[in-house]
Amino acid sequence: MTEIRYLKAVNTALSDAMDADPSVVLMGEDVGEAGGPFGASRGLLERFGPSRVLDGPISEAALAGAAVGAAMSGLRPVVEIMFMDFTTLVMDAMVNQAAKVRFMFGGQTSVPMVLRTPHGGGLGAGPQHSQCLEAWFAHVPGLKVVCPSDPASAYGLLRAAIADPDPVVFVENKALYAMKGEIADPPAPFAIGRAAIRRSGTDVTIVAYGAAVHTAGTAADRLAERGVSAEVVDLLSLQPWDEATVLASLSRTHRLVIVHEAVEAFGVGAEIAARMAQVGFDELDGPIMRVGAPFMPVPFSKGLEAAYMPSVDAVLQAVDKTLE
Amino acid sequence: MSGGNPLLMPKLGLTMTEGLLAEWRVSPGTTVRPGDVLFVVETEKIATEIEATAEGRIETLLVESGKTVPVGSPVALWTGPPPGGDATESAAATAPEPAPDVVPESRAAGRPDGRTVATPLARRIARQSGIDLSTVRGSGPRGRIKAADVEAVQTSPAPAVRASVPTSVRQPTNVERIVADRLSLSKRTIPHFYVLADADVTELEHVRAELNADRTGTRITVNHFIIAATAAALRAYPDFACRWTDAGIESLPVGAVGIAVDTPRGLMVPVLADAGARGIESIADAAGDLVTRAREGRLTPDHMGGAAVSISNVGMTGASMLVPIVDPDQSAILGAGAIRSVFRPDAEGRPVLRREVGLVLSCDHRVFDGMRAARFLDAVVSALNHPVRSIRTPDPGRG
Amino acid sequence: MRDRELTERRLDEAAEITALLRDLLIVRRAEERLSAMFADGEVPGFIHLSIGQEAVSVGVMRALRVEDTLASTHRGHGHAIAKGMPLEGFFSELLAKNEGLCRGRGGSMHVADMSVGMLGANGIVGAGLSIALGSALAHKTLGRNAVAVAFFGDGALAEGLVHECMNLAALWKLPLLFVCENNGWGEFRPTSQQLAFALGDLASAYRIPHRIVDGNDVVAVAEAAEAVVRSIRKGEGPAVLECMTVRVRGHFEGDAQKYRDQAELDAMTERDPIRVVCERLAACGVNDTDLDGLTREVDAVIEAAVAAARRGTDPDPVAARHDVYTDGAAA
Repeated sequence: MTEIRYLKAVNTALSDAMDADPSVVLMGEDVGEAGGPFGASRGLLERFGPSRVLDGPISEAALAGAAVGAAMSGLRPVVEIMFMDFTTLVMDAMVNQAAKVRFMFGGQTSVPMVLRTPHGGGLGAGPQHSQCLEAWFAHVPGLKVVCPSDPASAYGLLRAAIADPDPVVFVENKALYAMKGEIADPPAPFAIGRAAIRRSGTDVTIVAYGAAVHTAGTAADRLAERGVSAEVVDLLSLQPWDEATVLASLSRTHRLVIVHEAVEAFGVGAEIAARMAQVGFDELDGPIMRVGAPFMPVPFSKGLEAAYMPSVDAVLQAVDKTLE
Repeated sequence: MSGGNPLLMPKLGLTMTEGLLAEWRVSPGTTVRPGDVLFVVETEKIATEIEATAEGRIETLLVESGKTVPVGSPVALWTGPPPGGDATESAAATAPEPAPDVVPESRAAGRPDGRTVATPLARRIARQSGIDLSTVRGSGPRGRIKAADVEAVQTSPAPAVRASVPTSVRQPTNVERIVADRLSLSKRTIPHFYVLADADVTELEHVRAELNADRTGTRITVNHFIIAATAAALRAYPDFACRWTDAGIESLPVGAVGIAVDTPRGLMVPVLADAGARGIESIADAAGDLVTRAREGRLTPDHMGGAAVSISNVGMTGASMLVPIVDPDQSAILGAGAIRSVFRPDAEGRPVLRREVGLVLSCDHRVFDGMRAARFLDAVVSALNHPVRSIRTPDPGRG
Repeated sequence: MRDRELTERRLDEAAEITALLRDLLIVRRAEERLSAMFADGEVPGFIHLSIGQEAVSVGVMRALRVEDTLASTHRGHGHAIAKGMPLEGFFSELLAKNEGLCRGRGGSMHVADMSVGMLGANGIVGAGLSIALGSALAHKTLGRNAVAVAFFGDGALAEGLVHECMNLAALWKLPLLFVCENNGWGEFRPTSQQLAFALGDLASAYRIPHRIVDGNDVVAVAEAAEAVVRSIRKGEGPAVLECMTVRVRGHFEGDAQKYRDQAELDAMTERDPIRVVCERLAACGVNDTDLDGLTREVDAVIEAAVAAARRGTDPDPVAARHDVYTDGAAA
């Protein structure tokens, strides 16, 4: 095991994937000479050259659309969209093209592309540079959506996403870029669609993904002090998501709290809650609770943003509510 | 949302927590004046017509007839004044309060609408274990039954296995359910003890026959004499007119005696509030009226409550004795059996034919001890032995 | 046959032109057949016909090889057929049959045949440009000597994506041919009312070579396409070929075109690509073209395809769900 930062894990996964498969190319704004706006592709232009690390102009729509066409023509492009907020500009490419090609053309071809993009607030980036929009993509048949929570899952899921034959939206949380974590040597890929149980417990299941996994973990620590045993399930993949693992956990604890940084309304948590109410109804011994951001844009002010972000206390309150 | 102020389920007695809205006498759009009957409420004790206290128009009925709702919950909206005539209170009452919050949390399974609130897991365990959820007390919010509540029942001693005899189940009437609840409460909470005595009513029977011979009103019964005797005993031991409450031992009017009445809808216990101030004929008239009202469902709050002691008489049957359960709002009840002929030795030891009635006084040991109860019962027996005393209207000065 | 190059030697020019005429007739008669079947209610959904614009499809395709790719538009039947999509698979798809090349899931607006590099018609105006851009990038990155073609109409010029794609293609010097089928209409209004610029000016802004050709003259289109494709294949970067053509039918089949001038509609027959190519043949000294005979021959091929398509089966909903993802996992 070695310890590396989340951002380095992303960088290493890109580098290893490009080593392993010459059809893997990077595209995006400043991914080349600048090494990526956050440094995720640092050193890759030097290693793989400008034909595989393509510095693109500020043209999100064309870059994403080109990734679709390139993927249909033999490449495995990885497009970086600097902030998830900017994915509004790639919606046609992702929703009408990438997601549809395989189905719409009768299975003639797949679209093996990855759209990497960071989401998440807490950095004072304001309403247009902090949003968590993953639920939009998870709603579209044909797209896969993953959201790693630590360096090991960032590496493992990115390798899996690049190797995947279908379009994958790879959501990173920019607040986690500096996070350090253990990673196997050599690092291992993660299977898309599998959740991980980060902590075993018997009284309540807390399902989370991305940075919210750590909020859930801290809440579980606090609950343990009070004698409440919480199981923390890290979804890792949002589409497809690991319904079996969540149901199995719910069947052990009989109570479910879902935590994410994205706006609560119509979010990933809503889907999980609805499915569990359906397939896990007889297991429930308390109401399913959701903890997410309030129904408002991400604010800029530090105080406002702190109030906006789902907190450990909010998770504790939700757990209390379902344990009542 | 319809506008208007709420009309609330009234509290008609000290212990009333919920009422059955038996019948609506108005409908949306009805304009009412003070005194017009709005609806009829049945409690464990009585059916009461609830009248409008002001002018107004009924906007919306919130509760269907036949439903039981907690005291203080809105049953309708109207244009009349808000409850208490206070604007702020009105605002509070009309605020969209989550409806379940008005249900007392301490209630066992079962809500006013009859639905059992239980988690899906609790339901599954109950289903698999053959446990009737309506018998399980919920510990969750608003009485919600959780898995642990069912498991607690599961681990308690198993009920005897019943043979699979075909049975039929009917829903109890409101009165039956309330009586069942109240008597269960009584047996659970009141430490009962009993004192027994035989009262000689030989002379009483003669006096009664004579009185009835020239009487046109209600026939005087042995029971009326027992009421009078009980009232006389209360006069002799006024501190017997009390009961146990959570707040302490409460004194009650000395002259009040409750009368258990078997009605078509179940057992009711109206109170003859001033039995201690009446002679036997007046008692007969007043008791007769109470019994008729009870059987016809015409009791009002004035006919209920305030007694420490009640009388339950099964003398019309062949039963020699009745050991009754104390009403949860009272402290004692006198059970009377049938009058029977017995030989008793006279002063010389020769058998003499006498007429006797077996009495059992059930008492709440929290307020009485055996000696006080025995003395009280003795006073009742003594009064029955001397029926002529009961003929007179008691002297208030002796009260 | 498709990858046969139009030779410069023109030893058998007439035979070449006759072959072009035959290809034109296949597209024309296939769409006319579709039009009739649509009117009969046999073709579900809605269709956009390219009648009058066949010379662009056929002419450009004459310059392409099988490994070359193209991304098409909502008016893409001609591109698909001319690139080599089998007629039976084409008609089966239009009739929503499981035997359709897209297994009845795409229909008219999404006809595609990856095996001949036809990356799909597209229901989103302008979207095909970025697909072709990416395909050109793949050709270049993987070292293929292949060209990608983006077909689009003049109506698409108002889409911002056109700008992004031209900029990127020029910037990355991609083997991409932009083919604008300029029929003068963007849906229900003339593009003169929709565009404040000419395509040539736009291309020159990106320093992309731009060439205008009579899009109704298949020989002119083929010659021009061959010339620009040759330069693209040499690695000289993208080019724009603007083909001036006419949209005979409405925006969609069933569009009564009340907004069009009768004089314009009348003038279209003068420039009909089939008439133009017959004139070309006459200029080569071939005056005995048996147009009727050729049409009958083409019709026989089309009827066989239609008959086969009609024998097709309905698509299976379960199988459809299995193609949402490659591994067959339906969400």
